Amino acid sequence: MTDTMAIEDYLAQGGVLTAPDNAPARYRGELMRMMSTFVDSELAGSAGFAASINLAPGIKERIAASRITLEKADHAERVLEVMGSFGTDTGRYQSQHDWAARVARDADLGTARGAGDMRLSVFHYPLQGWTDAVVMNVAMGLATGVQLAELSRVSYAPLAEVFRAIAPREARHAELGLEGLQRIVATDAGRAEAQAALTYWQPRVAATFGVAGSARYDTLARFGLRHTPNESLLGRWQAALAETLGPLGLK
Amino acid sequence: MSRFHPLTVTELRRETRDAVVLTLVPRDQDRALFDFTQGQYLTFRRDFDGEELRRSYSICAGTDEGVLRVGIKRVDGGAFSTWANEALAPGMILEAMPPMGKFFTPIEPEAEKHYLGFAGGSGITPLLSIIKTILSREPGSRFTLVYANRQISSIMFREDLEDLKNRCMGRFSVIHVLEQEGQEIDLFTGRIDAEKMTALFQHWLDASSIDAAFICGPEPMMLAIAASLRDHGLPETRIKFELFASGQPGRARQKAVSRQAVAPGAGTQATVTLDGVTRSFAMPREGQSILDAVIAADLDAPYSCKAGVCSTCRCKVLEGEVEMAVNHALEDYEVRAGYALACQSTPLTDRLVVTFDE
Repeated sequence: MTDTMAIEDYLAQGGVLTAPDNAPARYRGELMRMMSTFVDSELAGSAGFAASINLAPGIKERIAASRITLEKADHAERVLEVMGSFGTDTGRYQSQHDWAARVARDADLGTARGAGDMRLSVFHYPLQGWTDAVVMNVAMGLATGVQLAELSRVSYAPLAEVFRAIAPREARHAELGLEGLQRIVATDAGRAEAQAALTYWQPRVAATFGVAGSARYDTLARFGLRHTPNESLLGRWQAALAETLGPLGLK
Repeated sequence: MSRFHPLTVTELRRETRDAVVLTLVPRDQDRALFDFTQGQYLTFRRDFDGEELRRSYSICAGTDEGVLRVGIKRVDGGAFSTWANEALAPGMILEAMPPMGKFFTPIEPEAEKHYLGFAGGSGITPLLSIIKTILSREPGSRFTLVYANRQISSIMFREDLEDLKNRCMGRFSVIHVLEQEGQEIDLFTGRIDAEKMTALFQHWLDASSIDAAFICGPEPMMLAIAASLRDHGLPETRIKFELFASGQPGRARQKAVSRQAVAPGAGTQATVTLDGVTRSFAMPREGQSILDAVIAADLDAPYSCKAGVCSTCRCKVLEGEVEMAVNHALEDYEVRAGYALACQSTPLTDRLVVTFDE
């Protein structure tokens, strides 16, 4: 059984890679790009949420916000460790950008990212107050759930395992957000504020799924780094959002 | 960053005609670094005629054996494995990085699990480490190994496996599948493919009893086994893979660097290959990185930090020369082999050929 096959064919047929040495050059580049998008988004998300801790109306919410801030940084660290096995200087990497930096609230970034900072565009926008932070966390939390389900199938096994370990904890973050949101919509004023926040965040979170018919998707799919097209993932998120927020009178 | 440490070869045992087993001892101050988890591998480096080669070999010892041991099977045309099989001797020093790899499941002393392992050829090496460790640390668990080889004489660790079978009656069993030698049972002759897997599950293995599976072997075998395990109800999350490094070339190719005189002030004609597509364009010598020039030429090169830290934009210079402003990600041997970080590189020559596909 020493017969082998081209690594590209192996990947296209659903094969799994297990060490940096297995990875062909282009695969490596795309994998690194996916990992830094995740690391930068988690770090920016954590940094953005840190300020919300002091906006929390009560101890329960304060604990939830602290936990989300802490665990998102931890998730970034776990994926950065995988990047380290490919040669990334992890110490320098985490200090490359100001993770708390944000653009103006009314800026329009579309799906664009800042030079060198690979966070998803949604993490460039500032949070405004507690309700805004909670709504963003629920909307993006549901999106993260959809995206992590996809990423947990990635063909680089050590990374897929990290994503599988992270996924339930990220799902808990969305749940914590939902618990906070249920308290907010208990009043009409709260519901109106939440609706305004949702109207702001919905298109911005939608943009994190990327464009439909993406050419990069084909490359990634061939490598087994992606399995479901952007537009299908977007559809899943929209369904999850409607199912979660509908009962709260939000749309 | 990776660090190499000296290991002394204290014993060298010839395992088969073309495989050796090395026992290695770290220096006292490095002992803790070389504590390993079952199923991990060591990466060695050695200079061959001025060219550094790095090769990874799995540890074959169990975690309770108190030794560091690796198996190295000679690959046709493989510089490192041939050297290890023919020239290496006790007393010599090898340089290795501390153990790495995730080919294991956590040990639970109370567990009563049924593990299934598949090894193809030298893919047995990490599995032997896993089997020994599980049998010793999980007294309630059992392990079934399906082990594929060409012929009896090429079976690595045949005696070790027999010993284990005798010592752990009822907890460990081996099914040898031989490609070229007929056995009493037809099922055990040939290759492990989809058909053979189905037959194994029909007659020998109860798929529903399996808690976790380990597979280490060449690509086609991994695909066939993984697909069959999935068909028999074992989810991907309970299958652990280790692809042995068949993709590693025997010898690093010599880089083609033309030492042209640098024409001052002029621009550069760059030729860039990405995803099999090659494009040529002119770019300035200063003020624009190769990455930015590539992106400006509508090539979708991967990048992330743009600061010389993450190595996402690693490319290889095939012709001409570049200068890197900052490099925190590539190691010296990679730079010597012609790799560069596109985000930090500017051309020094009037002609430059770069690929992102190597």
